Amino acid sequence: MTGRAMAGRAILAAAGLAALLVPLVAPAYYVLLMLPFMAYAVVLLGLNLLFGYTGLVSFGHALFIAVGAYAGAFLTTHTRLRSFEVMLVAAAGLGAAAAALVGALCVRHVKIYFGMLTLAFGMVFYTFLLKFYRLTGGDEGMRVLRPHLLGVDLDAMPKTDYLAGPYYYYCLAVLVLATLLMWRIVHSPFGLCLRTIRDNPAKAEALGLGVTRYRWHAFVISAVYAAVGGALLGPPTGNVDPTLAYWTQSGNIVFMTLLGGFASFFGPILGAFVFIFLQDLVMSVVPYWRLIFGAILAVIVIFAPGGLMGLFARARP
Amino acid sequence: MILEARDLTASYGAFRALDGVSLAVDEGECVSIIGPNGAGKSTLINVLTGVLRPTGGSIRFKGRDIRGVGPVALARLGMARSFQLVHIFPDLTIIETLQAAVVSRLGRGTRLFASLAGDREVQAGALEVAELFGLADKRHALARHLAQGDKKLLDVASAFALRPEIILLDEPTSGVSTADKTAIMETLVAASRTIGLRAIVQVEHDMDIVFGYSDRIIALHEGKVLADGPPARIRADRHVVDIVIGRPRPPSPARVADA
Amino acid sequence: MSGVFHAAILFLVAAGLQVVFGVQKIFNLACGSFYALGAYVGVSAVGWYAAAGGPPALFILPLALGGLLVGLSGVVVERGLLRFVYDRDETFQLLLTFAVVLMMEDLIRMTWGTSPRSTAGLYLAYGQVQLLGATVPVYNLIVIAASLLIAVGMGWLLARTSFGRIIRATADNREMAQALGVDLGRVYARVFTLGTALGTLGGALVIPATAAMSEMGIELIVEAFAVVVIGGLGSMRGAFVGALAVGVLRAVAIAVYPELEMLLIYLIVIAVLLLRPRGLFGRATA
Repeated sequence: MTGRAMAGRAILAAAGLAALLVPLVAPAYYVLLMLPFMAYAVVLLGLNLLFGYTGLVSFGHALFIAVGAYAGAFLTTHTRLRSFEVMLVAAAGLGAAAAALVGALCVRHVKIYFGMLTLAFGMVFYTFLLKFYRLTGGDEGMRVLRPHLLGVDLDAMPKTDYLAGPYYYYCLAVLVLATLLMWRIVHSPFGLCLRTIRDNPAKAEALGLGVTRYRWHAFVISAVYAAVGGALLGPPTGNVDPTLAYWTQSGNIVFMTLLGGFASFFGPILGAFVFIFLQDLVMSVVPYWRLIFGAILAVIVIFAPGGLMGLFARARP
Repeated sequence: MILEARDLTASYGAFRALDGVSLAVDEGECVSIIGPNGAGKSTLINVLTGVLRPTGGSIRFKGRDIRGVGPVALARLGMARSFQLVHIFPDLTIIETLQAAVVSRLGRGTRLFASLAGDREVQAGALEVAELFGLADKRHALARHLAQGDKKLLDVASAFALRPEIILLDEPTSGVSTADKTAIMETLVAASRTIGLRAIVQVEHDMDIVFGYSDRIIALHEGKVLADGPPARIRADRHVVDIVIGRPRPPSPARVADA
Repeated sequence: MSGVFHAAILFLVAAGLQVVFGVQKIFNLACGSFYALGAYVGVSAVGWYAAAGGPPALFILPLALGGLLVGLSGVVVERGLLRFVYDRDETFQLLLTFAVVLMMEDLIRMTWGTSPRSTAGLYLAYGQVQLLGATVPVYNLIVIAASLLIAVGMGWLLARTSFGRIIRATADNREMAQALGVDLGRVYARVFTLGTALGTLGGALVIPATAAMSEMGIELIVEAFAVVVIGGLGSMRGAFVGALAVGVLRAVAIAVYPELEMLLIYLIVIAVLLLRPRGLFGRATA
């Protein structure tokens, strides 16, 4: 194994160990901050399959985050089901169904038209969530009751203990599983085909690869990840609201992906981490995180389009 | 007849790129398509490979009607092509490009959870083609960093990796230095014997290559077939020579030895 | 009637979008942010004017002037940021405009705070009239007239002035224009500034009718987006017809079935993108 690969594995192992230890050593505040990070990390793993590996930029991906979040919320508040496993499966299923439909319409188009279509679909869903308040709770959103983890009802636990304890490890497990799965997908024959379509659709077709079909598959998979991530977002705040589907949310997750580096597998996860924690850091000093982040995005686009992982790659000889 | 086209017409608006072109490619033939610029050669290739829909006429591949069939389906039926302007996957390595072709050939593109590195058939198949084309020692190089000649070779090699029955090459040696040209053609000929290619159709400008490697030559002019026959007959055809070839010159010594 | 007023404002912002897209092939997400900037500056301008003792009847002058002048700040964005990415993939260009959206949102908050600002009472300073059975503020009519004037002015600019010819040539074929001696950098700077000025003017003019609020930029851009998709990317006529269509449709939808409102508009956008991607007047792009 090359020295670089070994260093990579060491860093990964260290990160994994750190993630396991966080609830035991870090203050509760930071443990709780890890929760949205992990949720967005799952979302971004999926988004980058679409963006980095297939070359499609979606400006409406927040739609699927919201689908997952509301699916989970709906189950806890409108049915007797409180099992987190059911919530996650339902989120995945609904995300897949929505993406199958939306994707079928969108993937025939490329570049700016794809971006515009996905943006429009995202805003359709946002407007639906906002306006049909009898169903969705309108701008106040929907409450999410505490899910039962692996069949265990933990309602009696104090909220912080629950979130910083069993819920944290559950989310971590989901993230690890999601990462392993995506690693397999990306390194599979399917993953290779996606990259050919990204690089040169005409040539890919000449080699017998149906470009639209592969894009559709990538779209659906990325939506499933987004929905699962969305379902993870609900319980910590106890509420989901329509802003989850707003176009700026879609823009933010593309930003996170770019920040970490879309050309690398772990880049998006890094991006989510930096985004969430840096945002928290900035907010503790001034409320103007958008100004700083906007500047960071501008710097990345102009000077470092490969993101943080791209910078690391350049730094090493 | 492996590939048969009759009365093909293709128009871009009012401009008729192909005007009643008919041709037939038989088992074991290497057919060269020649003609001045704008004669319709690339259009013909694009129509035959399903990239462009003809406005009239018919095409039969292995006996079946393929008019209107797209490139993806045609690739699966056994037809492969290379491109005039080099078409490669910039961010894939040579070996990955070939692996993609083999994956497509074996129909394994939907395997989401299988390991590509662990798929021995794909790995072996890609390596075999790399060796055939002399690309094995640089197989981990990114396609975007290759020299023009190697890019062309990769384009052709990946088409070969599909183990097609017929391959259509659009100017396989254009933009390539003279020394490399012969190398590419020799590799092509040798490789085709190995994988059991049944026919080659190529658009070519370099007359040395054309006369050195063709069983038959089809001359196109203004969308029509000017002449269709073995090299000797084409060379003797005054009309073709004037329009396409220019003044006749003696064949180069190297080719005489092979003929 | 308020639909037509809204359409008039939308047209201004959409026209700004179209001229930038047509020439620079960039969809300027920040156009909505400039709209918001114009609104806030408009409020401040009117406030200073009133404090300086100006006659209320003429308030529209400082309003419009403030709106126009602040539009010149567009050149800062163009020269300072955008010009570095003209040769890059359109995704990155779009993301850069998104960065501007983020930055401007906070810059506006920093300057004017988070509570809405308005020019209380000035909306009806010009009185109202009865038109087609409805009571319409004269202010609305003034803005509609102004917008129409600008539409005509834009048409004249594009068709009859040398600057307009340069714009059209660059929009048609940038390489050829460059080969013919057009200084792309200067054209881009001017076009972008023109685009932002139209947006800021629109924002300023809407102020008496509504309050300046922090989300107004990101909300308007999606409406403007709908306008340019329906009308056709890059087309001025498209901006006009599209703005009218969206403005009126929205007003009708609100009156008939409030839940529908923008939902209907977005569905139409999707339909247009699927069935006729170049919209009503756009050119067929690759």
